[in-house]
Amino acid sequence: MGVYEHLFASIVGIMHLKYLVPLFLGTLAGVIGGALPGITITMTIIMVLPFTFGLDPLQGLAAMTGVYVGGSAGGSITASLIGIPGTPSAVATTFDGFPMTRKGEPGRAIWIGVWAAFLGGLLGGIFLIASTGPLASIALEFGPWEYFSLFVFALSMVAGLVGTSLVKGLLSGAIGLVITVIGSDPIMGVPRLTMGSDFLRGGFPFLPVLIGIFAFAQLMSDIEKMRRGEPGAASSQPTPTLSTSQLKVLWEILSMPFVLVWSTLIGILIGVLPAIGGSAANIMAYDQAKKFSRHPEKFGTGIAEGIIASEASNNANVAGSLVTIMAFGIPGDAVTAVMLGAMTIHGIQPGPLFISQHPAIAYGIYAAYMVSLVLMVLIIAAGSRLWMRVISVPKSILIPAVLVLCVVGAYALSNIMDDVYTLLLFGIVGYAMVKFTIPLAPLILGLILGDQIEVNLIRAIATDPNPWLFITHPISGGLLAASVASVIMALWQHHRAKQRGITVDEEEADF
Amino acid sequence: MLGREGIAGLVCLVLSLGLLALTRDLPQSSMVPVGPGFYPRIVLVLMAALSVMLLVSDVLAGRRGRPAPPPARARLNYGLVAATFGVFVVYVFLLPALGFRIATFLFVAVLQAVLEPPRGWRRWVLVLVVAVLTSWVTHLVFEHYLSVLLPRGRWTGM
Repeated sequence: MGVYEHLFASIVGIMHLKYLVPLFLGTLAGVIGGALPGITITMTIIMVLPFTFGLDPLQGLAAMTGVYVGGSAGGSITASLIGIPGTPSAVATTFDGFPMTRKGEPGRAIWIGVWAAFLGGLLGGIFLIASTGPLASIALEFGPWEYFSLFVFALSMVAGLVGTSLVKGLLSGAIGLVITVIGSDPIMGVPRLTMGSDFLRGGFPFLPVLIGIFAFAQLMSDIEKMRRGEPGAASSQPTPTLSTSQLKVLWEILSMPFVLVWSTLIGILIGVLPAIGGSAANIMAYDQAKKFSRHPEKFGTGIAEGIIASEASNNANVAGSLVTIMAFGIPGDAVTAVMLGAMTIHGIQPGPLFISQHPAIAYGIYAAYMVSLVLMVLIIAAGSRLWMRVISVPKSILIPAVLVLCVVGAYALSNIMDDVYTLLLFGIVGYAMVKFTIPLAPLILGLILGDQIEVNLIRAIATDPNPWLFITHPISGGLLAASVASVIMALWQHHRAKQRGITVDEEEADF
Repeated sequence: MLGREGIAGLVCLVLSLGLLALTRDLPQSSMVPVGPGFYPRIVLVLMAALSVMLLVSDVLAGRRGRPAPPPARARLNYGLVAATFGVFVVYVFLLPALGFRIATFLFVAVLQAVLEPPRGWRRWVLVLVVAVLTSWVTHLVFEHYLSVLLPRGRWTGM
């Protein structure tokens, strides 16, 4: 059976209520989480995670795929209606979405965003389906030298891409690697660096660490900006009418194919790169659309191109991230890092063998992705009168509920309080990292790849102790050269930014 | 005087050196050419080297004169952050004693009141309703529909 026959069969399969209900609920949660200012897609997927423990793997992954797709589009609702991005991946949508709303066209602003997200997501989905298999076959040829070098490349690239300091990016990645060496060693099972503590003997489980770091970094950064007695969100705005001609909006988008396709390609490319996600994609696509436009001066005044660029790129980014995790087992961003954690709970190891060993789940994810795009459009259409109320839920109500779900997510992994204590410990670490302006994404990638880097390094040395093989194997050598090049490139970019006097507020959670 | 980056570098340096000292006790392996301490030493030396670089760059930046922090920083509400952490720590340590339902009800109610002190009885009712619903709905969904067992209270038995 070919790829597309498999896909068609999986789409029929995913339409069964058993899968459709979690997919629908996931997409709904994604749209709401994406629309709520201060609740990112990462936070939403962390909240949905414990609900998936009792489900079968595909049900859980369908729900998570729904959150990812719904969240990427949901952020645009808030961005266009009140000028505050619901998620970092919708920042650029505010630039033209909100001015369009102020010009009295909120329906047009929302629906250009939704349909651009749909079309960008659809094109991204075609790339996902067409490229994952061939990329996985390339990765199947890899030996321990190539894997080691691939993971080192991923880590060095992320460290260079996030934040404004290469040293802090690399240090964050190194902290992630150090966390993975605490506990039993993966080859002989010898306890390492545990100081005789039973709590440390099993090592730090990945998901409580990730939930703690991301949840607290985000929530505490929000809380420190709150004033006592002030509601955390807008609450008294009038409900605008969001009705508009759907055909007219679709035609408007399709009459600008270059912006749509170019932004989609940028979104896919950023998604494929490890650990940087939609938050970078939408800004870069907006910037590119402006550069290539015949009327760049109109950007920021409420024109359709700006919304299309931002929304097409951030939804295509979802597909790009899924490619990296399914073909190489490397998460494209924090959301796919949680999905990776969920897969390992069910005993599934994403990577080059994933599609051949678990075809039903791999094609199920493709199908869930495609169906959730349609569900996302239907949910936003059905709830159009409610969105203004949804986005004005006060943070004082949201934050305690989110923290409870974080605790449940950590506890339910193995039904032990130790995982909740890990959550608390790394919650403090996550917030401290934000305050010390150390980026979080490299730490998470180091945490995910640490064991794999060690296992492949030891395997390579056990096969042949000659260290030059890491360089003389062509793919491995090429990847290590690319790692060095990415570090030099990052150094040059940071130096140039400093010379131009560009300063960035680093004290923000980078997801 | 060290800046934020210098302090971060110093903390990471102390941690990495402390952990590096612990790797001396690790045994050598006869089955593989490198023992369980080989890889941890590499990553800890890497972490220590990067910490030193961060520390040195901060000290050098301090000599050149550090730029003043943006004025918005002063208005950040660290008291509220500390209070939230405090309430969360108490919640986590009371969970095994009181059980999920009671501890969660208390946590959600107290944290709401801390984040936005209720003015008037209507707000108090809302705070209590949200706390009851969060505790009850989470317990119902996870225990009855998703087969996830939540902590039972040592003191309360529920």
